[in-house]
Amino acid sequence: MTDPGRERELQAMLAHSEKTRAKLDRLHEVLTSGGHYGTGATPATVVYQENKLRLLRLLDASGQPRSGPPVLFVPAPVSRYFILDLLPGRSFAGHIAGAGFDVYIIDFGTPGDEDRFADLEYFVDGLVRRCVRTVSAISGRPAINVVGYCLGGTLSLLYTALYPSTVSRLVLLTTMIDGDVKGGIAWVAHQMGLAGESYDNPRLVPAAEIKGWFEMLAPGSNSLMGRVNDLWERLDDPPDRLRDVRTMATWVDDVVPAPGRLLAEMYQQFGPGRNRLIAGTATVGDRRIDTRAISMPLLSVSAATDLIAPAEGVDAIRLLVPHADVMRLPGGHVGIVAGRSATALWQRTVQFLQEG
Amino acid sequence: MAEGDAQDTDPTLVERWLQDQQQWQRTLFTYLDSMMKNDEFLMHMGNAMRGSLLAGKPYPTATPAPAPADDPATADRLDKVLFALHQLQGQVKDILMTLDEMRGGRSPAARSARKKTRVRKASSGSGRKTGKRRTRS
Repeated sequence: MTDPGRERELQAMLAHSEKTRAKLDRLHEVLTSGGHYGTGATPATVVYQENKLRLLRLLDASGQPRSGPPVLFVPAPVSRYFILDLLPGRSFAGHIAGAGFDVYIIDFGTPGDEDRFADLEYFVDGLVRRCVRTVSAISGRPAINVVGYCLGGTLSLLYTALYPSTVSRLVLLTTMIDGDVKGGIAWVAHQMGLAGESYDNPRLVPAAEIKGWFEMLAPGSNSLMGRVNDLWERLDDPPDRLRDVRTMATWVDDVVPAPGRLLAEMYQQFGPGRNRLIAGTATVGDRRIDTRAISMPLLSVSAATDLIAPAEGVDAIRLLVPHADVMRLPGGHVGIVAGRSATALWQRTVQFLQEG
Repeated sequence: MAEGDAQDTDPTLVERWLQDQQQWQRTLFTYLDSMMKNDEFLMHMGNAMRGSLLAGKPYPTATPAPAPADDPATADRLDKVLFALHQLQGQVKDILMTLDEMRGGRSPAARSARKKTRVRKASSGSGRKTGKRRTRS
C-alpha cells in the first residue's frame, strides 16, 4: 500500500514534468519552423531605388500590381519597414491592398557611415518627394494618398505642407506633434543626451543606443530575466501564436542606426522646449513649414497607451490642422498597427481612403 | 463495469513515470538531432535563452566599435564626398523624372509598369482580334 499523500505528491511532480516537457517540445517546434523576419509578408516589386532606399509596390496573388488608387506608406527611418507588412493576415499594408488600393511602401534601408550627414531636407525634400513622384508617375495621378507612421508621419506631414497639391489624403499614425507633452521617446532621448547630438559634426547613432531609448520607456520590461520568464510563460500558447511573437520580437530587436544630423535637427526643431511645429516656425532646409497649406482630408490616429508617442502629443494635430479627423484607439504604439486588435485601425483607414 | 475497465487500462504511477522518462529522452534527442543537423538551431536556442524568439540573425548586442581609421580626418572627408554623391544621385533622378514628364511620358518605373500592362492587354486583346477575323471570314 502506498501512502496516499506521497502518491498525490508524485502525481503532481509527474504533471509538472509533463507540462515542462510540452513547453520544450513547443519551443523546438517554433525554433525549427520557417521564420519570417526582415522582409514584408506580401509579395512586392522594387519600383525605385536611391542610396539605401527601396520603394516597394505590393503585388496581388497572381504577382501583378493592382490598379486602384495609390497609397504610399512612409515608415519611421529608425526602424524596419516590415512592421507595416508583418505577417500574412496581420499586415496593415496587405489589408489596404486587399481593399483594392495600389500600395507602395518605403524601405529606408540601413544607413551607412556616410549617411550620418542626412538631414530633414534630404529625407523630406529628397527621398520622400521622389517616392511620391514615382508613385504619381506610375499611377498617372497628380495626387496620391500618403500614410505616415511614427517618425514617418512627421516626414509625411512636412512633405505635405511643402507639396500639398501632390497629396489627396493624408493619414498620420502615432505621429508626435506637440513636443512639450511629457513622456515618449523624445523626452527619453532628451534625458539620455540627444541634446548633445551635433548637427555640424554628426555621428551615425548606433542601433543599440536607439534601442536603449526605447527600453528606457518601460524599465525592466526588456531585462534578461524578465524576457526569459515572459517567454517561458508564453510557451503555453499554441505554436501559431508563438510564431507571431517571434516575428514581432524580430522587429522590436531590429532597430537600425540613425543619421545623427537628422536626429539633431528633429530635436532642435520639435524636441521638448523647442516645439517649432506648434509655434509655426518649423523649417525644411530654407523653407518655412506652413501647415495651413494642408487642406486635404487628414486622419490622425493616436494610441491610448502609447509610451513612445503619448496620445495627447499626437492629438495636438488639431491645433495645426483644425479640420483633421482625430481618433484615439485602445492599444500601444505598435499594437494598433500590427497587434491582434489592429483591424480597427485598418478598417478605419480603408474607410477614410475610400471616402476620396 | 466501464469504471472497472477504465481502472484496468489506466497506467499506474510507475508506468506513467516510465512513459514520462521515455518522452524526456525523445525530447532530448530531438534537440540534439536539431543541433547536429541544423546549423542555425544553436543560434535560435541562444536567442531563446536570452528571452527572445528572434529568428535568423544574431541577437543584437552593442554595435561593435568601428575599426579605427588610419586618419579620421580622411575618413570623414571621404564620407562627406560619398554623401554628396548620394545627394547628386537624387538630383540626377529628379532631372530624369522631370525630363520624362516633359516628354509627356512617365518615369522609367512608370514606363516598365505600363509596358507590363500593354503586354497583358496585348495578350488579352489578341483573342479579340482573332475573334473579329473569324466573324469577318
